[in-house]
Amino acid sequence: MESHESQTPRPMSLDIVGDTGNNQSGDPALSEVSSAQPPEVVFQEENIDLDGEAFITPQDDSSSDNMLDKLNDQMMESVMISDSPNNSEDDTGHMESLLEQFEDGEDSEPKESECAEEMEEKAMVSPKITVEAPPPALEDEAADEEQQVSAMEREVEYAKPPEDTPSPRSTELQEPFDANKVTPKEEAIPVCTIFSQGNQQRAPGQALAPDGFQPALVKSPSFSSGVEASSRLAPLVCQPSPSLSKFFTDNGHVNPASDFFDSFTTSSSFISVSNPNAESMLPAGVAESQPSPTAVSPPAPHTTPQKPTTPSLLTAPPAPESLAQPGSAGTTLQPAFSQLQAVFSGSDDPFATALNMSEADRRYDAWLPSEETRKVLISVATQQHSPVFVERDRLSMPGLRFDNLQGDAVKDLMLRFLGEQASLKRQVFTASSVEQSFAGLQQLISTKNWRAAVDLTGRLLTAHGQGYGKSGQPTTHTADSLQLWFVRLALLTKLGLFQNAELEFEAFGNLDQPDLYYEYYPTAYPGRRGSVVPFSMRVLHADLPQYLGKPQESLDRLHSMKTVCQRILDNLEQGTAEDGSMISVTQENRQASIQLWRSQMYNSIVQHEPERKAQLLSGIGRIFLQIGDIKTAEKYFQEVEKACQAKGDGQNPDTYVLMNRAFVHLSQNSYSEAHVSFSEVLKIDPKNPVANNNAAVCLLYLGRLKESLGQLEGLVQRDPTLYLHESVLFNLTTMYELESSRSTQKKQALLEAVACREGDSFNAQCLKLVSS
Amino acid sequence: MDVNQAKQEHLLALKVMRLTKPTLFTNMPVTCEDRDLPGDLFSRLMKEDPSTVKGAESLMLGEMLTLPQNFGNIFLGETFSSYISVHNDSAQVVKDILVKADLQTSSQRLNLSASNSAVAELKPECCIDDVIHHEVKEIGTHILVCAVSYTTQSGEKLYFRKFFKFQVLKPLDVKTKFYNAESDLSSVTDEVFLEAQIQNITTSPMFMEKVSLEPSLMYNVTELNTVTAGDSGESTFGKMSYLQPMDTRQYLYCLKPKPEFAEKAGVIKGVTVIGKLDIVWKTNLGERGRLQTSQLQRMAPGYGDVRLSLELIPDTVNLEEPFDITCKITNCSSERTMDLVLEMCNTSSIHWCGVSGRQLGKLSPSSSLYLPLKLLSSVQGLQSISGLRLTDTFLKRTYEYDDIAQVCVVCPFNGPDS
Repeated sequence: MESHESQTPRPMSLDIVGDTGNNQSGDPALSEVSSAQPPEVVFQEENIDLDGEAFITPQDDSSSDNMLDKLNDQMMESVMISDSPNNSEDDTGHMESLLEQFEDGEDSEPKESECAEEMEEKAMVSPKITVEAPPPALEDEAADEEQQVSAMEREVEYAKPPEDTPSPRSTELQEPFDANKVTPKEEAIPVCTIFSQGNQQRAPGQALAPDGFQPALVKSPSFSSGVEASSRLAPLVCQPSPSLSKFFTDNGHVNPASDFFDSFTTSSSFISVSNPNAESMLPAGVAESQPSPTAVSPPAPHTTPQKPTTPSLLTAPPAPESLAQPGSAGTTLQPAFSQLQAVFSGSDDPFATALNMSEADRRYDAWLPSEETRKVLISVATQQHSPVFVERDRLSMPGLRFDNLQGDAVKDLMLRFLGEQASLKRQVFTASSVEQSFAGLQQLISTKNWRAAVDLTGRLLTAHGQGYGKSGQPTTHTADSLQLWFVRLALLTKLGLFQNAELEFEAFGNLDQPDLYYEYYPTAYPGRRGSVVPFSMRVLHADLPQYLGKPQESLDRLHSMKTVCQRILDNLEQGTAEDGSMISVTQENRQASIQLWRSQMYNSIVQHEPERKAQLLSGIGRIFLQIGDIKTAEKYFQEVEKACQAKGDGQNPDTYVLMNRAFVHLSQNSYSEAHVSFSEVLKIDPKNPVANNNAAVCLLYLGRLKESLGQLEGLVQRDPTLYLHESVLFNLTTMYELESSRSTQKKQALLEAVACREGDSFNAQCLKLVSS
Repeated sequence: MDVNQAKQEHLLALKVMRLTKPTLFTNMPVTCEDRDLPGDLFSRLMKEDPSTVKGAESLMLGEMLTLPQNFGNIFLGETFSSYISVHNDSAQVVKDILVKADLQTSSQRLNLSASNSAVAELKPECCIDDVIHHEVKEIGTHILVCAVSYTTQSGEKLYFRKFFKFQVLKPLDVKTKFYNAESDLSSVTDEVFLEAQIQNITTSPMFMEKVSLEPSLMYNVTELNTVTAGDSGESTFGKMSYLQPMDTRQYLYCLKPKPEFAEKAGVIKGVTVIGKLDIVWKTNLGERGRLQTSQLQRMAPGYGDVRLSLELIPDTVNLEEPFDITCKITNCSSERTMDLVLEMCNTSSIHWCGVSGRQLGKLSPSSSLYLPLKLLSSVQGLQSISGLRLTDTFLKRTYEYDDIAQVCVVCPFNGPDS
């Protein structure tokens, strides 16, 4: 610890000298006898060992000597010997029970969250008064183990669903699903014959069509390719993908397309390499195209519309979209327009719709490809008649990467704790119980059955030829297939299945492959330009890494997105084309919740959206609070107060101010004042769930467990829609555990309440039933 | 559950939960535009979600507080808080309940209970609650020992204990370096620069609220961690005041001896106490920690008996052209008069002009003499001046001075312009 007399010259220190004393050019320090050459600035380094002796907390200065003495382990033992004076009094009587108790604890670990591990009292069993200090090493291990266990449990939780699911579900599913012939199991297997019979049936009910696979006209080569024999006929019935159509029609000529589909170049491999199910796929396509509302026309006419130039075809892709979400599209930018659209959506005026939609399309699809991709796209555009050669690795070739994950944690828990009978009561939608269409998908999403929704996207994507095992195979994209991907990945993210999402995102690279632009499909999307990938998917793609512990990558992605957006904006300002939905851009950036940049981004957003200033500034403030930077947080909170005063009217702003005050109190450890502030919010807004919950939390920190518990319990019972939320339930179950030994029963009651309200995306972990 | 069985033995159940700061619930916002497939579903779901911020649903960080999820880590200097709840699980009233919470560290045993008086009676389904706090001052194993004694209705006296063990970890790694600056002409030692490298060795970001140096009696300290720009000082660490896990930050302090000590400073040799670092940090929602280092000590640069310093030296000289330097030789010893002989040894590049081995005469204690010397360099570039030897003939002791200073040697015929 002592500064060693390192007078050895170090270049570093000499450099530093340069600043301070070059002129006076230091006096050499003298070193006796030694040959060391003293630099001007003596450089010493010492490593302060931060153990008890070196580091004392301020109040403890005086006792430092004391601690010095006692730091060795032997001391600890001896101290332990003098352990509790009363231990002798009852050792004999109750030690067994204690032991038992502990062992139980080992088994069940009821409160991994509550406390460190309970220490075994074996040492105490010996009636001797000299109790050996517990062997630290062992216990450490135990501690480690326990930690690991809890960590494991969590992992297992995540990992489980995929495994669990197939068994109970698939059988169940089989029945309803027979109609579609897509059992989950089969779906999972790359070689699937499912569509051989299935598709015809699927067709009628399943409006994959609404906007969906109508452009199933555009098929991925992976499946339509197998149809070589029938393909000659195929165009009559169904539009093959543009590239394919060329492939087929131009077959006789020397054709670069054959290079493009390298795996299919020779006709022999053509069949074998491509999926065995390919044959069946084509009918699927036919079937799908039939029911689409827009394609009122029978299949045959499709051949003609294939000539893209006719306006009627233009309408084909967009119109159904407006059907699917009447009036919703384009609202931000053009409210008037959306009305227009609503009017037109059902109407027979495809021309007007076409005009409107293409306008909106252009606006939303705008994206600037990288230089390289742009070149490819230009060559596609210019070489209409000889499809360009694109290297395989420049294409996105997505496919499902994991089997069904469907499963319902709530139901599993019910089965486990409440018995089969009770679990039967649990009724949620599954992928099979809804329409196999976008509408069904939306139904699943809105009922919070996201797991089932993910399954459904899997099925729909399989139908599109991008199913399990298809990744790495060339395919074509449509607006709808990418929407499906977006929904799937978004839901995976929402479910916290980040690894899965990342895995499936992999194939898309940086979302800049040429086949992700409309220009790549001049036949299917004549005249349409821009990105097939929805902007939201780009945001999701950028956001994802941060959840996987790679915030830097998220930042990079967001920044590159921002750059593109900025360029688009610049273009617009200069009066040229290419507009982007900038309003949403800023919104999206807000999610870029990496602490480092958060505040800066938010700040700029505040300017964009003045009406949300209070919320946003408070948000920034909370971020700083979370980091621990209370001063800066307070600055932001003050600005919120100013902003609220400026508005001046209404009660609403006051809640922000009070909330913020409460948080500041909280971070200063004054829970009682925080409680007062939260209670004041409740006076203004008695139903505010956040304030209610937070007030209860404060009560706990004040040592008023029963009150706190009573408050939360009351809330959940009175207004389950609002309070059956994982955060509240988590708090509640934690308090149950703290309060009583009968927490399991109480938790089960909560489980029942959850079961009849929540979908399969409910995070059942918050009930903390599993660990017991 | 452990206690299910335990309560057959015991009427009371003891539960302990560490109270770290609550955390703000984060939701997982995924947005989409209205024209995307999910339409407004995502935003509608987010609006309905009670944990989102109304009006700004896509903010990830909500306002909902959640209780600590696990024991977490506890670090030296932080405060250990814990909820202790004793619940009457039985159907009978229990009397004379005494709950005692002790913390056993490697060196001592502390009583943390707020009150040491017994509670007269506890009805069924009722709790005795206590929240204990303790600022952790030791590293290593800590054991929270909770003892409960009570009397049943039948008059039986019962007692049980529970142990909760946790490890206190080191939050920071601190390294220090001293730089002794020697300013012109003045006393032998004056300013000392302290560089403290503080590394966050926890696993979470840390907001450094205060890192200050509390100087010892002899010194005044100036913190050099802000850059004054205009009216407000800006931290050298930029706007972000927190330290990511495993990141290190350098703090710099300048210490000046107080005037009353400055005079004596020349005499002060060996180890001096500089002061100690006082570090305050905060983490999640203001969870606070504070540490002080032990007294930082430095070895004052040892000048020995004779000190040689440079009074005058050109910074640039011409190749093979003599130039002058002036050395100052000080007798630092307290009472001994020296008789010095100067020797000059040439190095490969530096050649001394003049007679080596000449007598400098007697030098009385604390006095100094100025010695003009001439030398030339035969090599271009930055050359180090070395090779002075002083021998005290009384003690037959030789002092060597190498690397006294550097000069830049240039060729006059091929100057920097060409």
